Amino acid sequence: MSTPGISFAGKISPAKAGDPAREAQVERLSCDVCIVGAGAAGLSAAHAAATSGASVIVLDAFPRPGGQYYMQPPAEASASISGNPQVTAGATLIAEAERAGVRILSGREVWGVFPGGDLAGGRVPGRGVPAADFAEGVAGSNGFTLHAAGEDGAVRVTARSIIVATGAHDRVVPFPGWTLPGVMTPGAGQRLAKLSGTPPGRRTLIAGSGAFLLPVAASILKAGGQLAAVLEANDRPLAAAAIVARNPLIWREFARLAWPLWRARVPWYRGGMVVAALGDDRVRAAVIAPLDGRGTPDLTRTFEIGDIDALLVGYGFRPHIELTAAVGCAHDFDEAAGGWHCRVDPATAATTVPGVYAAGETGGIAGARPARLSGRIAGLAAAESLGFSDTSPERRRLVARRRGPAAFATALNRHFAPPRGLAAAITDDTVMCRCEDVTAGEVRAALADGADDAFGSKLWTRAGMGLCQGRVCGFGLASLIAADRDLDPEEVGFNTPRLPLRPVKLSTMQAALKE
Amino acid sequence: MSAIVITVDGDRLEARAGMTVAAALIAADRPVLRRSPRAGAPRGVHCGMGHCFECLVTIDGTPGRRACLVEVRDGMAVETGR
Repeated sequence: MSTPGISFAGKISPAKAGDPAREAQVERLSCDVCIVGAGAAGLSAAHAAATSGASVIVLDAFPRPGGQYYMQPPAEASASISGNPQVTAGATLIAEAERAGVRILSGREVWGVFPGGDLAGGRVPGRGVPAADFAEGVAGSNGFTLHAAGEDGAVRVTARSIIVATGAHDRVVPFPGWTLPGVMTPGAGQRLAKLSGTPPGRRTLIAGSGAFLLPVAASILKAGGQLAAVLEANDRPLAAAAIVARNPLIWREFARLAWPLWRARVPWYRGGMVVAALGDDRVRAAVIAPLDGRGTPDLTRTFEIGDIDALLVGYGFRPHIELTAAVGCAHDFDEAAGGWHCRVDPATAATTVPGVYAAGETGGIAGARPARLSGRIAGLAAAESLGFSDTSPERRRLVARRRGPAAFATALNRHFAPPRGLAAAITDDTVMCRCEDVTAGEVRAALADGADDAFGSKLWTRAGMGLCQGRVCGFGLASLIAADRDLDPEEVGFNTPRLPLRPVKLSTMQAALKE
Repeated sequence: MSAIVITVDGDRLEARAGMTVAAALIAADRPVLRRSPRAGAPRGVHCGMGHCFECLVTIDGTPGRRACLVEVRDGMAVETGR
């Protein structure tokens, strides 16, 4: 059936009549503030900037706004999916933003951002704008042009300021068999269950670390799936309980999520990790190893959990920093913030590039409540810097209100940090980079050959050079390189993305970049 | 959700309106979506939110569509690379 090498590109088929013309249509819009991401942070930022008087456009990749936390099921969804409090709260947030005049463009993925917009007399972006212009502050004075494309058409937005609220994605680490169909991230399982009402499999094993495993398990049960078990790597439940106990705000949500698991008698293991997935053309079983005191799996004492057709493994989240990295913002490393994240000023959510703000998880993993607050801070500050109302007293209050929930998130992130010895499960034939099929053996050979860091291993092996641009393998590669070279993960660095940030048709790109 | 019909590699499949192509395939116990470029190994949905590009399939003749983002429509033709 398959033809290795061109399996997904498929056949070259002649373009249908009318298609190229339609694709080449690029809607041109301009606004004061353009926000990327319509999740908790982006929607809050949009509402805040619009109520300050700014014109606001939000670009979002998904068919409907809401992001992950406030995910909105399709209109046809049954009441059992659409009737939960998160969906209702998200719908309110969306309606409030739209009432304030925000224009939300769904189904548009941002593939490029250039300094200079054509509204403030600035340079019209087009050919060969050097990335260094961002760093030199050209962007701040002249605005930006963002390019997005997708299902619902292509758009080019010129904006005086941009707010990056692109959220986060699951932090995964490779293990033998992790490319088998049925092995997914917890986030994938959550979306399948919450959006489509479909559990990721008939019988699912959820593993990894972090508080997110709990809502994923609850969603899968609600969608009618069975759970083989939940396996949490962290082995200090009392410490976790103490963190939760100190934060009454989340007791209710915790109880709502934990109750169905308790009622369904789902086995809850802790102190172990998945070291292999087994199966021929799809996952059938998982191999579990206990973790020792240093967070290293003991491969001599493994056991199997069989009769599964879905295995979800994730160790918390990583901030989505492609856009902020592409425009040259400074980034910092902090494991309790999800690793590399965009550096922001807490009082304004401003990044180190003038005119660019980062809200929510992009500035460090902290969850939905802090994301809403930082979104509001960013929206108010961005509008204020463009000459709209002075909101510094409100922003000071928001910063104070964000402190508690953000500290809670940091405590949880620190508690549920990925096990230190994760990379010990990675055998030489384990695929590291899924896009390019690069194995750990190839990466280790490159390291022995002189590739010292993330960038070096990319140049040597192509790991991280595929369609996902290292979003999936970045953490795993960093863990492997750090273990192999005896480095701190920070020293390994991260690979900055390349434009286009997402695949885009050349005809669309050509039309979008035309002056 | 109302029932609609799509075809997957020529087979008729019932799905509910509004669900993603990925969900329809998983619900029908068809998790293998394509083969990896070098090793030819089976691949399926991984991140489920559009950033890993593992779930690429051909939809109504257009290759490289992400099954996890596209919602099913009545009469949709899906071709996997399995």
